[in-house]
Amino acid sequence: MSLLKKNKGAFSIALLAIIAIGLWTSYQYVFAAPAKTNEITATYTGAADEFKYLVTENPASWSQKIVQLKGTVTAINEEGILLNGTIYCQFENKQNLQSISKNQSVVIKGKYVGFDELLMEIKINQCIIIQ
Amino acid sequence: MKSISIIIFCFMTALQLNAQKYFTRTGVTQFEASEKAFEPIAATNKSTTVLLNTNTGAIAAQVFMAGFQFKNALMQEHFNENYMESHKYPKATFKGELQDFSNENLKRNSSFELSGTLSVKGVEKEIETTVTVKEENNRIYISGSFYVSPNDFGIKIPSIVREKIAQQIQISIAYELTEKK
Repeated sequence: MSLLKKNKGAFSIALLAIIAIGLWTSYQYVFAAPAKTNEITATYTGAADEFKYLVTENPASWSQKIVQLKGTVTAINEEGILLNGTIYCQFENKQNLQSISKNQSVVIKGKYVGFDELLMEIKINQCIIIQ
Repeated sequence: MKSISIIIFCFMTALQLNAQKYFTRTGVTQFEASEKAFEPIAATNKSTTVLLNTNTGAIAAQVFMAGFQFKNALMQEHFNENYMESHKYPKATFKGELQDFSNENLKRNSSFELSGTLSVKGVEKEIETTVTVKEENNRIYISGSFYVSPNDFGIKIPSIVREKIAQQIQISIAYELTEKK
């Protein structure tokens, strides 16, 4: 008790610091922005064609997973690229698209959102170029 | 037998040439469910697929729940896991028609009635709304908005957050379609 009395000032400062850290951490947790593609480790890394096969086996299991794919660019439009004919990779930063040309081999990383049955394509969002 | 298949083939080719389709993979669908005085609840999906047959005005659209981007990670997680159950119901679809749509009418006016079936979480609901349709540089622009209620699709909102989420959720669409070759 005497120790507590002696260091009253130091104790209250420590207590305040702990409360402040607690508040800051919970604030960070509640108001955090969604993680960017580059901050998340890819669940799958490999060839685009193999990934296509895995998706057709069980499309639902890939939802919201980050994947890293190697393939050939078969088409380019304003928002993204088509990889191996049936994987559409949409970019957030369109400037990244300028360095890509048709028939080039690329490695991209992005979020799998689903298999589009209207166009029979796999959709990957928030893509970034790895190579 | 051979001649019949040739006739069928010619017929199919003729149909193919006739059926003019416009599409996009990157249409913007937004929703806004904020209540005044509470934090904003809104998300944007920039990867909506839309197909439009310009001969008939038939329209089909598909949006993935996982493609909705929130400003807040926790809200996005709750949306996918608690409210929409994205793993079970990964997408919402719309099938419908732009009433009295034709290339001639498109030149004359820019306001069309859109009606059809919206399917969310496996529940179907008829939607009727007016959208703006414009053609510019061989692109067709469709935009508009309508309201839906979470109740319509069996989306349960816990009482603790009920006051923070609007009863009527506004869905806005903005699609830029290019010709499908």
